[in-house]
Amino acid sequence: MDDGPEGDAPEGDAPLSAIGSLAVIQAEGRRVGRLVRFNPAIVNAMWAVAWFVGFGCAFLAYGPDRLIPGWLGPAVAAALLVAAEVASFAYGMRVGSGIAGPSRTSAAMYGWSWTLGYVCLTVLNVALTHRGLSGPDVTLLWSGSSLLLAGVLHLTGGTLFRDPALYAVGVWTMVCAAVAVVAGVPGNFLVLAFAGGGGFAALAVYTGWVRPRRARR
Amino acid sequence: MGASPAGAPVTASTGDSAPERDSPPELDPVIHAQARLRVTVALAALGPDERVTFPRLRQLLEMTAGNLSIHLRKLEDAGYVEIVKTHQRRTPVTFVALTPDGRSAFDRYVAALQSLIGTAPSHAPRNDG
Repeated sequence: MDDGPEGDAPEGDAPLSAIGSLAVIQAEGRRVGRLVRFNPAIVNAMWAVAWFVGFGCAFLAYGPDRLIPGWLGPAVAAALLVAAEVASFAYGMRVGSGIAGPSRTSAAMYGWSWTLGYVCLTVLNVALTHRGLSGPDVTLLWSGSSLLLAGVLHLTGGTLFRDPALYAVGVWTMVCAAVAVVAGVPGNFLVLAFAGGGGFAALAVYTGWVRPRRARR
Repeated sequence: MGASPAGAPVTASTGDSAPERDSPPELDPVIHAQARLRVTVALAALGPDERVTFPRLRQLLEMTAGNLSIHLRKLEDAGYVEIVKTHQRRTPVTFVALTPDGRSAFDRYVAALQSLIGTAPSHAPRNDG
């Protein structure tokens, strides 16, 4: 329902009281800010859940003493990682829709480097598997390379946005990549779930809670 | 810059019958209207180097195209908003952004509101006590 304009004046031309104006500024600033500003906490939280639950299931589905069916672990991990990628992409597109500027271009290019990086990594790993890599080596290849790529991309993000916390998580993730391979199967799944997912969870808490509270002071 | 192009700044009223103060803060009449305030707030929510297309701004504000155009023109006439018509892959696109003047006018407006409320804490004065 539209309220019709009063007389010949354009709709919404009436002045407000001072209190009313401040209320509009606060409410609208918060509402529009949520719609146009990328909130990294949302994306990091999605990735934390995908890695923790996905690779946790992969661990529980491995070996003769498995707690869930063998096919279910990799299936849950793949489904959650793809879902997280699609959701991150859709969220980024929705927030950035119709907005232009140098910082938006940088952010969009950074977002694309995650998508492109993981698409190419998937092709590379699948090709190596087809060439005869098998068993635990395939598992270690996936865990090591995906953590390494995530780490490098966090480093890039830290550099791009001048964010030391993001950079530190990148370093942590790369160290975890090496540890995951050294740990072997199925310990690598635990490294992925707790260290990899934990890195994203730490970032989600930092970007969604710690940093906004500091900025308000 | 400096003088308000849309006329002398208006004195804000904090209520229907607010008593006159010695020097009440002046509120910029270009921004001090519900619709233009909402437009300004939305544009100020973007980064200083960012601009938004007309359709996205309309969607963010849930305003009709005609109404948004009228208010944008007033803001543009005051030098607070820059409207650039360009082409993206042969499709015409209209970008809207707050100018540096617009951003500082908005900051001054917010400061004036705050000082107004600060100097007149009982914004709805009682006549019975």
